[in-house]
Amino acid sequence: MKVLIVEDEIELLIRLSNYLTKENYVCELAANYKTAKEKIMVYEYDVVLLDITLPDGSGIDLLRIIRKNNINAGVIIISAKSSLDDKIKGLDLGADDYMTKPFQLPELNSRIKSILRRHRFDGNNLVEFNEIIIDIDKKEVKISGEEIFFTKKEYDMLLFFMINKYRMITKEIIAEHLWNDNIDLSDNYDFIYTHLNNIRQKIKAKEGNDYIKTIYGMGYKLTDK
Amino acid sequence: MKFLTKINRQYFLTYSILLVFVSVIGYFLLRLIIIYEVKEDILEKEYAIIQEIRNNNNLPNIYPIIKTKKINENEMRSASYKKIFFYNEIEQEQEAYLEYTNTLKINNSFYCIKLRHSLLESNDLIMAISLSLLLLLVLALIVSFVITKQMNKTVWNVFEVNLKKIENFSFNKSFELELTETDIDEFNTLNKTLLELTKKLKSDYKSLKEFTENASHEIQTPLTIISLTLDEVLQQDLSESVFKQVISTQKAIKRLSNLNERLLLLTKIENMQYPVDEQININDVIDEQVKEFTALIKHKNIDVSFIISGTFKVKINYILAEILFNNLISNAIKHNIDNGKLNIIMTDEKISICNTGKNNSLTNSSIFHRFTKENSQSYGLGLSIVKQICDTHKLDIKYIKDKLHCFTIIRIK
Repeated sequence: MKVLIVEDEIELLIRLSNYLTKENYVCELAANYKTAKEKIMVYEYDVVLLDITLPDGSGIDLLRIIRKNNINAGVIIISAKSSLDDKIKGLDLGADDYMTKPFQLPELNSRIKSILRRHRFDGNNLVEFNEIIIDIDKKEVKISGEEIFFTKKEYDMLLFFMINKYRMITKEIIAEHLWNDNIDLSDNYDFIYTHLNNIRQKIKAKEGNDYIKTIYGMGYKLTDK
Repeated sequence: MKFLTKINRQYFLTYSILLVFVSVIGYFLLRLIIIYEVKEDILEKEYAIIQEIRNNNNLPNIYPIIKTKKINENEMRSASYKKIFFYNEIEQEQEAYLEYTNTLKINNSFYCIKLRHSLLESNDLIMAISLSLLLLLVLALIVSFVITKQMNKTVWNVFEVNLKKIENFSFNKSFELELTETDIDEFNTLNKTLLELTKKLKSDYKSLKEFTENASHEIQTPLTIISLTLDEVLQQDLSESVFKQVISTQKAIKRLSNLNERLLLLTKIENMQYPVDEQININDVIDEQVKEFTALIKHKNIDVSFIISGTFKVKINYILAEILFNNLISNAIKHNIDNGKLNIIMTDEKISICNTGKNNSLTNSSIFHRFTKENSQSYGLGLSIVKQICDTHKLDIKYIKDKLHCFTIIRIK
């Protein structure tokens, strides 16, 4: 999967490319409008991460170019502005998603994956981890071929873990992913444990392995190592 | 007190005092002049009498006003005036006279001349003149008072009109201040100064707004870098203590970023940057928000009950309505006790969100202020955002602690 990252903040550009490279994406970088425009016109990308405020232009204009030239790439706008207008404008112009700074890497990964699936770049709609298979289209979870019923939140949570496998995810990041930051509960994320426990019980009941490891009571990691 | 009332009152007071002074001074001045005239008259008569004595040796006597007689040399006195009273038989009353006594030597004989002049008519004259003078002055005062009042009204009219305009002017509104021109230089100068001042203030206000927004945005990028770097650190094999330190740093960053976002939100609400949607059914918004909190409600085992007797509808931006009730409901859950209650009362005219909680009442006046917080974990901005949204949408919010902590939103008519 090829990703173009357009971001004028070099430090952020490096972090993003490091992370996405680790997640097996091929990353190309553009730190300004001019470079980004050239790359968009010449090469093909599956996903473009687009910062709106660039030193020599606006990311919104790049988005216009992408859509005008029928370039088949998923676009995620990354903006410091949580302003509603920008968001609506971006989505109206054909952006697939809109993320407000500061964002979390697992969340970014989850959104990229979801765009790839929507654009069918992946070629399949299954997310697999050993005996656990999730069919995104049908919203079905199977363990060794056997279907398990999960509630909406449990399903979202498990999928989030599967997409960010082998990665430590804190409770805050999970809460943000599941409740969209709508929920301001400071340190009170205990109820996440309730959901997680349900997931573990259901997987165990079908004689699956509990791959979700708790790390020092503050984070979780889906791993078989 | 209004400017014109004040001016008129001052004017009236000053003129009244002035009137009293002028009347008193006028009275005495008039008296002095008339007495002087009387004396002159007496001296003229004396001269005529002296001539009569000298030429005709005739001593004229008219009671009671002229009396002449021969005297001895040793009875000579210098001339003097005195006031005396006579009984006037015709008018049957005591009458005041000015009596002039003089002794003279005419043709080697000594004479005493007494001349009397009635003061009654002079006094009457003084009174008559004084009264008519007073009357005229009072009349002049009233007339000038009315005229000034009327004139002030026309002259200040434009000023009042402009004052109304300035009163209604707000920096939030997009239109510029427009003041009516007058033919009075001072007012025009004032208008010009005001226009320049508001223009300057408006641009300052705008740049301040932009500054707040830009500063908030600029802060988000470094926060993202810090947060992402820390996330990378967390992926390594860390000891528990380092792990906890990184997590706590990450939480602090999250708080900083949330705080920043909330301040930005407050600024935007204040600046009315959210367009008003159509009538929003608040009952639905609340339903939706309560669903968002299902996990937490279950976790705390809170008993939620809806008491619905109507539909509360408000013209508001949908996102703001969500933020408004998200804040209130999240507070009602956050500050609730385990196995507590959450009652939501919905009518056509108001919405009440009541919850069990700690027994002590919140201090009513300051809870809606910024950075008033119960503990260090909260931002102290939630309720001020709520208040700000209410203020900008003709809603009133009240907090009452009875058995439950109740927040009630009422439409302002």
